[in-house]
Amino acid sequence: MNLLLQIYRPLLRLRAFLFLVTFAALIPFPGFGSAEGREKILIFSAGSTINAITEVGDLFNKQGNEKCVISCAASSTLAKQIAQGALADIYISANPKWMDYLSEKDLIEPETRFDLLGNRLVLIEPISNDSRIEITPGLDLAGLLGKERMAMGDPDHVPAGIYGKQALMALGMWDDIKDRVAPMKDVRAALVMVEREETPFGIVYSTDARISKKVRIVDVFPETSHPPIIYPVAILAEKESPATKRLILFLQSPEARAVFLKHGFTVK
Amino acid sequence: MDLLHLTPLEIESLRLSLWVSTWAVLGSLVPGIFIAWVLARVRFPGRALLDGIVHLPLVLPPVVTGYFLLVLMGRHGMIGGWLYDVTGFSFAFSWRGAALAAGVMAFPLFVRAVRLSLESMDRGLEEAAHTLGAGRTRVFFTITLPLSFPGILTGTILAFARSLGEFGATISFVSNIPGETRTLPLALYTLIQQPGGEVGAFRLCIIAVVVALFALMISDFLARRRIFLMHGEK
Repeated sequence: MNLLLQIYRPLLRLRAFLFLVTFAALIPFPGFGSAEGREKILIFSAGSTINAITEVGDLFNKQGNEKCVISCAASSTLAKQIAQGALADIYISANPKWMDYLSEKDLIEPETRFDLLGNRLVLIEPISNDSRIEITPGLDLAGLLGKERMAMGDPDHVPAGIYGKQALMALGMWDDIKDRVAPMKDVRAALVMVEREETPFGIVYSTDARISKKVRIVDVFPETSHPPIIYPVAILAEKESPATKRLILFLQSPEARAVFLKHGFTVK
Repeated sequence: MDLLHLTPLEIESLRLSLWVSTWAVLGSLVPGIFIAWVLARVRFPGRALLDGIVHLPLVLPPVVTGYFLLVLMGRHGMIGGWLYDVTGFSFAFSWRGAALAAGVMAFPLFVRAVRLSLESMDRGLEEAAHTLGAGRTRVFFTITLPLSFPGILTGTILAFARSLGEFGATISFVSNIPGETRTLPLALYTLIQQPGGEVGAFRLCIIAVVVALFALMISDFLARRRIFLMHGEK
């Protein structure tokens, strides 16, 4: 182990390192207790909602309510964190499956659950292309791809990728395309691939396509080609309080709905 | 479940991991030794900067390194685009890109190890060879390189072990394609993301630990053996 130690020891000896550790220890750790008796609500929200939910949270706060702290990641990651005891108050999932997962573990207040948002699946291309195609069952998407790839969320686990696979299957294109997929770790990563022109096409939510100025929506996938894209929300177990209830109500208010619509969601 | 019987998915990702890491290390050898030599032996303005750049992958979030790679080496990247136009060679969405990502992430560890052995070497031996008439190249190949061998060896194994674990840069740069870029850590990640994938993930985890421990043990064994050969009983 001598040589290994020789390499790591100087790293450990660095005084800067010690300073860093001391410094880090001095940073107050934000404590997230229950919603009672504090001014923060911790929302765990699906990655695709980040811009909209941040805006809604600010709006809620401006109306004299509690501050919303928002943590966005893949719905699956968030669900697993909650299952491991993360102290979130409210969970918004991009897929009913992950809400069911928490529901089965009795980690949400079931009567507070409802379908907050809807979304659509779109085919996108870099802004520099203009392929003008329509998504119809006879479309030879694999031929259009040629040797290139189709950027989409990983169909094994990313909700957008699962919906995308279902849509392509319903349209009879999946078998030709499945070996040409570039499975990305989340839907935003698929967006980046198309933005950077690494792939000629990608499948993302219409809300994602709207954020980017570097991609164009080729066509919207038929609503019947995949299960409806639904974002359920619920208060987490034992986190029901006047504050979280007020927020849940606010999410359904006309002001909040206007924000969601602006970002390309459909509201239930 | 039979622990010794690997599933096709496990074999595929393990094989791919070993393949990608091998190429990552092979590709790092020459540039790594060269840069280590430059940092250890040459005094020039901008040396600290070079040192910093080499170490960047060690401190940057791997996802950021992956994004840099995409911008630089992607099909339409600054260097990658040119490379593709001229030679038709592309890193995008292939195991070659995974090897590049793993190589870049492991590079600082390799350079550190080689540089350390170059710096701890008895410079008198190089000077002696020099005064006896050997040119710079000859001194390098007959004195410097053989004497820095323990460092190169440790660096190689360390870099190999680091490459095996590479995740963030790979998934951002070349995505997660089964059989092409889905290495052990990416397969593990995919399983963790699926409800009910815990058992499969746990098995992959054990495989990863065994391979990594094995690599480190070989490294230690070889390093000791080399020291023994060079210095006799210690």
